Amino acid sequence: MSANRFSASLSRYKSLEFILGILLTGGICFLVVFSDFLFQGADKINLSARLLEPFTHAEHFFGTDPLGRDVMARMVSGGKISLQVGFLSVAGAVVFGVIMGLVSGYYRGFWDVIVMRFADVQLAMPFILLAITFIAIVGGGLANMIFLLIISQWVQYARLVRGSVLSLRDREFIQSAQAIGVSHFSILFRHLLPNLIGPVIVLMTLNVANNILLESSLTFLGLGVDPLTPSWGGMLADGRTYIQNAWWVSVFPGLAILLTVLGLNLLGDWLRDSLDPTGRTSR
Amino acid sequence: MNSKKSLGMVLKTLAITGSLTAASLSFASTLTVSSPQDPGSWDPIDTFLVNWASVATNIYDGLTYRGPDLKLQPGLATSWEQLDDGKRIRFILRQGVKFHDGEDFNAAAVKFTFDRLMGDEGKKGPQRSNYSAIDSVEVINDYTVDFHLKAADPVLLTKLAGYGAMIVPPKYIQEKGEDFFNTHPVGTGPFKFASYEPKVGIKLEAYANHWGGAPKLTNLNYRFISEPSTAVAELQSGRVDLVIPPTIPIGMITTIEKDPNLKVVTTISPTVYALRFNTKNGITKDEKVRKALIYGVDRQAIIDSILGGQAAQITSFQSAISFGDDPSMTPLPYDPNKAMQLLKEAGIKPGTKIQIDIRGNDATFNEVSQAVASYLQIVGLNATIKPYETNVLLNDIIPAGKTGEMFQQSWGGWTLDYDNTAYFMYHTGEKWNPYDSDPALDKQLESQRSITDRAKREEILQSIAHYTANRALEMPLYSLNAIFGVSKRVKNFTPVPDSRLRLTDVTVE
Repeated sequence: MSANRFSASLSRYKSLEFILGILLTGGICFLVVFSDFLFQGADKINLSARLLEPFTHAEHFFGTDPLGRDVMARMVSGGKISLQVGFLSVAGAVVFGVIMGLVSGYYRGFWDVIVMRFADVQLAMPFILLAITFIAIVGGGLANMIFLLIISQWVQYARLVRGSVLSLRDREFIQSAQAIGVSHFSILFRHLLPNLIGPVIVLMTLNVANNILLESSLTFLGLGVDPLTPSWGGMLADGRTYIQNAWWVSVFPGLAILLTVLGLNLLGDWLRDSLDPTGRTSR
Repeated sequence: MNSKKSLGMVLKTLAITGSLTAASLSFASTLTVSSPQDPGSWDPIDTFLVNWASVATNIYDGLTYRGPDLKLQPGLATSWEQLDDGKRIRFILRQGVKFHDGEDFNAAAVKFTFDRLMGDEGKKGPQRSNYSAIDSVEVINDYTVDFHLKAADPVLLTKLAGYGAMIVPPKYIQEKGEDFFNTHPVGTGPFKFASYEPKVGIKLEAYANHWGGAPKLTNLNYRFISEPSTAVAELQSGRVDLVIPPTIPIGMITTIEKDPNLKVVTTISPTVYALRFNTKNGITKDEKVRKALIYGVDRQAIIDSILGGQAAQITSFQSAISFGDDPSMTPLPYDPNKAMQLLKEAGIKPGTKIQIDIRGNDATFNEVSQAVASYLQIVGLNATIKPYETNVLLNDIIPAGKTGEMFQQSWGGWTLDYDNTAYFMYHTGEKWNPYDSDPALDKQLESQRSITDRAKREEILQSIAHYTANRALEMPLYSLNAIFGVSKRVKNFTPVPDSRLRLTDVTVE
């Protein structure tokens, strides 16, 4: 009886996680996608309205930045760059890294040696060095930045996945799948992948936030986007020197990152639980 | 290693508590300065960094001396006279001066210093080219030397007051070696070297036997803090007494002014900022367009708002304290209608793209360039900003002529002489002049270099300033003040325009 109630409240908690996560992430995505309609022309520089305090001016509810631009408008439209960078870079790194990890862990031998030695070389290279070299060769811009983040981060996923595959590949359920003649492809994606996706999702949610911040540091190196185009990381960096007199310049974009990451974490938790094969049977 | 580190931490904590009690008893007078950069070597011929000078001006003396009032005074030379049409300068040296290690200062030391600077050792460093006018140094007697020059150099006496011309101890360098000297400097200045920890700080002690009298402080410590918010936080907590430029961004001035224990001290400086034009390609090839861009940007509004008034508008690429500045010149006014009319005459369509290249790590200029871009958008251009890593911009993009239509140029120049700027910016083939070649301008630039008559030189330099402004070779923006953050415990501090800080009169309460 008590076990029943416990599992009932657990599943309710899980759906609460899902609802909150989808509300936060969906709400932010909605605002960001429709920012152009919601805040038309509110992003103009106005040197006579610099650093207005928040909650005191109806037209600048979150105050203005050092160039007199509306913080709320910039915050919302800044999500365009930040979410693109955060999502696309992580998605790219996950797809590539997971496939590499699965292949090298499952097949071992030649592919394992090639992929993992390549990963070692990549891990030994400091990120900044990689970034500077990359800029020098292919130049800056948003697409290049996302590409750089993918090639610098796929290794993390490949390593993680390979480790899990190594411990899973000799387990009975894999061996039995092999014994009854299930194809390699099917074993990789239907039997191995669901069993190791949990930690990958956790790493993904961490990296989204990390990459949103990395975008602004890459701007210092000249790989980033035009400073006129707002982004959360860029706004945080711009607000740094003003933090003691004008907290709102950096606090609001910081909140935006926080809420996005919180939403993604909740969704990630829910996704992990619902994908986890052991969790599924107990439910 | 690890235990050493933790021991160091303990010692540091002890030192901090120690200095707190010491301060309350006013027992020792120590000044702690935050400097943004560690030059790595304290050898005068190895460096061109202003933050080398903000330390080393206390360690070394030159033959001449230039203080905060920017007037040239006797230093290790008590007097000098120019002979043979400026091709020979005779210096009478100060007697009874000793280096910190006890060595005598005399004519041999002067000759050693300049033979070293102009010889193989100097060739390795960046200072030598500044003194290329010097042919040889001749010792007349122990306290008289003659400088033989290849050509007259009107700025040489100023250059002898700083950087590569600092007098170094011959015996010490010969005995200990060049590498040891880099990290254990010895000079004749008012403070002597005590200890140096790379990337952390350098400590100096008062040298009581200095010829100008003993300094009022007993200890002078520098800490290298590059991050502005860290430097200001240390100033607020009292662990640093003075933050020197270039550290404090304009946005932090209010923070310091709000603190009852701190104040901001500023002075005019030679550092100027401009957006220079690509005069070879694109729409800025046309002089009309370049003038239109200048008319289109309200530079005074930028100074009043973003720069908080800590800057002054410039008319040519030099500040008001530069020799060659013509105070009668007026900047082009802000006139967006005129700008649009000129653009129309030049056949520029609205929405034409224009790219501004800037240094990615300069927070203040980043804001300035965004304001400039928005002004250009008002007159119908589609301005974009491209930040570069500073070294990439300075070493690859500008010299190779790969910039956009406009690019950031900031320039210091401690000699406060327009030649030091104009020659490098406008003479054909110079590193900083990738686009323009103007024979008439070249000729003027060359002609003033060998003239020792001040008035005549000033006339030529001013006419160069007029000429470049007429051709609109850059959008002159502003000269930025040198900004110091000072604890109110510090007394008698005079801000210097050129970062060459000598802290002999300063006291700490």
